[in-house]
Amino acid sequence: MKEKKHYHAIHITKDKCIGCVHCMAVCPTKAIRVKDGKAQIIDEHCIDCGECLRFCPHDAVHSHTTSFAALDAFAYKVAIPSTVIYGQFGSASLPNEILSALRRVGFDEVYDPSAICELNTAAIEEYLNEHLQPRPFITSTCPVVVRLIQRRYPALCGQILPIEPPREIAAKILRTILPRALNLPPEKIGIIHLTPCPAKMVSINSPATLEKSYLDGAISSRDIFPQVLNALKKSQDDALMRHLFPETLFSGIGMGWSLSGGETRGFKNLRAVAVSGVTDTMRVLDQVEEGLLQDIDLLECTVCPDGCVGGPLQVENRFLAKSRILQLVDAAGDRAVVDHKDVSRLYHKNFLSFDHPVTPAEMFPLDSDPAKAILKAQRREKIFGKLPRKDCGACGAPDCWTLADDIVRGMAHLADCPFPKKEKR
Amino acid sequence: MAGEAVFRQEFPVKGGDFAKAGAVACRIKDLLKELGLDTPVVRRAAIASYEAEMNVIMYAWEGRVKLAVSPSEVRITVDDKGPGIPDVDLAMTEGYSTATAEMRELGFGAGMGLPNIRKNADAFRIDSRVGRGTHLEITIHANGHKS
Repeated sequence: MKEKKHYHAIHITKDKCIGCVHCMAVCPTKAIRVKDGKAQIIDEHCIDCGECLRFCPHDAVHSHTTSFAALDAFAYKVAIPSTVIYGQFGSASLPNEILSALRRVGFDEVYDPSAICELNTAAIEEYLNEHLQPRPFITSTCPVVVRLIQRRYPALCGQILPIEPPREIAAKILRTILPRALNLPPEKIGIIHLTPCPAKMVSINSPATLEKSYLDGAISSRDIFPQVLNALKKSQDDALMRHLFPETLFSGIGMGWSLSGGETRGFKNLRAVAVSGVTDTMRVLDQVEEGLLQDIDLLECTVCPDGCVGGPLQVENRFLAKSRILQLVDAAGDRAVVDHKDVSRLYHKNFLSFDHPVTPAEMFPLDSDPAKAILKAQRREKIFGKLPRKDCGACGAPDCWTLADDIVRGMAHLADCPFPKKEKR
Repeated sequence: MAGEAVFRQEFPVKGGDFAKAGAVACRIKDLLKELGLDTPVVRRAAIASYEAEMNVIMYAWEGRVKLAVSPSEVRITVDDKGPGIPDVDLAMTEGYSTATAEMRELGFGAGMGLPNIRKNADAFRIDSRVGRGTHLEITIHANGHKS
């Protein structure tokens, strides 16, 4: 195997992998093969969506997220949770309690994400009003969608709306103000995202639109859940006081951001469409590539089902989490906590913009020589005709078509197919 | 295309099969990417083949989309058995449409189909016989610079 060129958050634990084909079958980019009894991920094709992690029955797929111990490197630790966190602890725990529980588990400061989400919605609205073409624009919040477009829909790179997502904007603001406010060198301040999404580590370690991420890491909701639950139990007596004296006023517009459609809920005169789930996202991106949906201003795509609330690393089941967040959205109503004039000023300073546009990833045609590629495509059709089309995965490729493709690319052999090949009936 | 390697494939399209709308265009665009054609060429071929495929689904009884790719060009030929187009010049006008109210409700039939194909093609030919069917020939140069 080639040396890994790309940073990935998703990895296979060889000791636990038994070489079954579950992960390979669900991988939307066909990036997994089973070779020598173990699943392997093809570096260039993986978009870190986490589907394999969801489906592995043997817990053999793991994600690299920041460990709690790694925070010791910082003198001052700041958490920026995803709004998903408000749906993780049942309906008895209010957002303010959850934020203060996070302080108890070791963060010096914890910032509510809903206000920044509202800021982001306002900035996107302003961008769309200023840029009438192309349509639709696609949001950049889901790092997997950005990577999917770079690899499979290169023509759509220019349609990704060039405003950074809330997690990066929040971290950038804090990076700017905290060193002065705390009188600490910037490297002593750790700004950490809390997330149910393994791909956030990829956007932090190899950002697609920034020179360098403003975040220092991302802790998985799973890893932090037990500590927060414990802290919530201990602070039950304070809960009533906190209800009476909330420290933070939550944004009704930003509160539902982690639900599919949440990013665009605050829009006034724009037409937005929200898509979630990796298969549906690909279906809609196919349509955009074919020139459709030009009457839509903004396409919000999240590869997790129902949005970030369906992230593979969350603990609460996503239906309960969604129901809880919807309660909070209802309670906050349309309350806005961000002044649009301020957002506009930041926006016009390019404070919220990408450092550089999204660029297509390297493509892998059948051959770099077009004439040879055509011959290989012809050969692939012939080979495919000989395969049983059962898509059983026993050869180590996810389906017969991919095996035929692998064969002409020199990655597999016809003999890998265990079915006896009958010549023409 | 003469003397060059050519990859050919045919795709059947059924009239009225809205559930499969775009399936052929999708296959064509994936193939062109695998053959290593430039992104703008793939995009134009995707848009043109989608419109051509939809015309068969919306108006014809059945049709065939034929793809021929050589290192120098992409050719998409569509033959359908259908009602044909009585006035081709009129049908090539942007915004002219004979789509039914139901089709428009589905978001189709804006009268941009044929003009959009012409816009994305380097060469475009259309022949139609009323009561018989329509023949389209779309050519896109692999190193074309049409915007």
